[in-house]
Amino acid sequence: MPPFSNLRGGFLKKGLKWYRPWHAWVFILPALLGLFVFRLGPIIFAFFMSFTHWDIFSPPDWVGFSNYAEMFSDPTFWTMLKNTFIFSGIYVPSVMVIGLVLAVLVNQKFRGVNTFRAIFFSPVVTSAVAIGLVWGWLLSPKYGLLNNFLQLFNVAGPSWLGDPKWALMSIAFVMTWKMAGYYMILFLAGLQDIPVVLYEASRIDGATPKQTFWHVTLPLLSPTTFFVLIIAIIDSFRNFQIIYTMTRGGPGVSSTTLVYSIYQNAFVFYRMGYASAIAYVLLAIVGGITLANFYLKKRWVKYQS
Amino acid sequence: MNYKITREIIIYSILIIFAIIMIFPFLWMFINSFNTEQNIFKIPPSFIPDKLFKPGMFDNYETVLSQYHFLRYTFNSIFVSFSAAFGQIITCSLAGFAFARMNFKGKNILFGLLLSTMMIPIQVTIIPEFLLMMKLGWLDTYLPLIVPSFLVGSFGTFLLKEFYENVPKDLEDAAVIDGAGPFKLYWSVFLPLGKTPLATLFIIAFMNNWNALLRPILYISSDNLMTLPMALTQFQSQYGARWNLLLTGSFLAVIPLFIVYLFMQRYMVEGITHTGLKG
Repeated sequence: MPPFSNLRGGFLKKGLKWYRPWHAWVFILPALLGLFVFRLGPIIFAFFMSFTHWDIFSPPDWVGFSNYAEMFSDPTFWTMLKNTFIFSGIYVPSVMVIGLVLAVLVNQKFRGVNTFRAIFFSPVVTSAVAIGLVWGWLLSPKYGLLNNFLQLFNVAGPSWLGDPKWALMSIAFVMTWKMAGYYMILFLAGLQDIPVVLYEASRIDGATPKQTFWHVTLPLLSPTTFFVLIIAIIDSFRNFQIIYTMTRGGPGVSSTTLVYSIYQNAFVFYRMGYASAIAYVLLAIVGGITLANFYLKKRWVKYQS
Repeated sequence: MNYKITREIIIYSILIIFAIIMIFPFLWMFINSFNTEQNIFKIPPSFIPDKLFKPGMFDNYETVLSQYHFLRYTFNSIFVSFSAAFGQIITCSLAGFAFARMNFKGKNILFGLLLSTMMIPIQVTIIPEFLLMMKLGWLDTYLPLIVPSFLVGSFGTFLLKEFYENVPKDLEDAAVIDGAGPFKLYWSVFLPLGKTPLATLFIIAFMNNWNALLRPILYISSDNLMTLPMALTQFQSQYGARWNLLLTGSFLAVIPLFIVYLFMQRYMVEGITHTGLKG
């Protein structure tokens, strides 16, 4: 093609046409490869696998719905599902409330504010394994600092990770501790989007800081809050590392959640088909939340600018 | 005036309490990395490590780095994280550029697919991925730790598409009139313009790969290929009681990334506030 041959086709209106369609495909080729080979392909493949019995070493057996039937009649599966939701039920509200409190605190101008932000964010960048290890030590029943501290008040602390009643709760606590700074940053961005004029107006109208928070800040923050809620719920399903490091799902199955049981069934028990069926339950839940997000966003969030 | 001062004192105290809670576990790792095995099992726990400022203060570090190969694991972690993050920059800037500045058939569907898979936890895709790696004969090499992270970039593509879309059309036209083709345009106009989002993407991808655990424990079995987090879990299951060494190892796994974070804090925070996702 001679240069500028396409200039007449509306240079001012459309701009220059400087590429051919195949150019675009060259540019997106690596990303497409990643998308199809490591994301969509495996998702489809896992669906077929969920109808097989497969231990990797011998060829797979097609077994129809047997994995799903087994799963829904297995009390262990229901315990794990319940654990997953209990975990989310503790993690999501705690991480959101603490994240918001931290964001409000560091959304002010004072000396050292950046240092505080950096400190609160530091567990987010840290390896969950290292965090799981040090918290495991802090929470250890006899030598741990927490129980020795409680001893000062004559309280006998439980074996936080060894007691089925406390294991999941302790994991949720550690994960909240690790991620609070991340939600602080998300809320902080939302807070900084609220126009200063509105705060001034409410101050002139004689509102107390408390009233301002409940009637100006919080409603205007609702788009952020909704967005953060979705992120936090989905994040709460990805708790593999801390469970692996601190309890390995135990004692018993008391701290086993869906993501952990997928790992365990596939790579400890070598039940690839059954693990894939559980993976599909997880996929259905995450997919459902993403869809709900998509439809509810317009309805719930009132104050979109 | 008085009210203002009390308010400030209250805010500072709350902040300091939170800061202590956040810092303390790191401090505890650090303190205990100067402890001997005897002193770490003291009841009540002692806050002053017995080796501090004494001969052999860095014994734990020496043991962990040389005897337990943590130097090697650190190298592995750096190599894997760097390669994967570098790949993210290539894959995502190319795709982001095409999605932002070109029109082609199926563009919206492909971008939709890319975004919709962003939220799916890795555990959903890991089993077929494992089988694929087995078929390729990639088990126990660096490849399965690098290649998927190299190529899968929903978050990064989204980040760069947004950035490239905001580049003025005039800039594109000027380069094209000067005779630039699509590759030249990408390489000498768009890539240099996007230094900030690329740095953001790099640091977030580096962090995610540095901290990744599932892929290493599935794919790596040789000692000399292990990454730091994996090595820590291995050390834990083999020498669970040697807490002074385990906490020293944890501290070593935390520190490099922490330094990177301090220098590139701005980019990381920007990336998170921009899309709310870690990758």
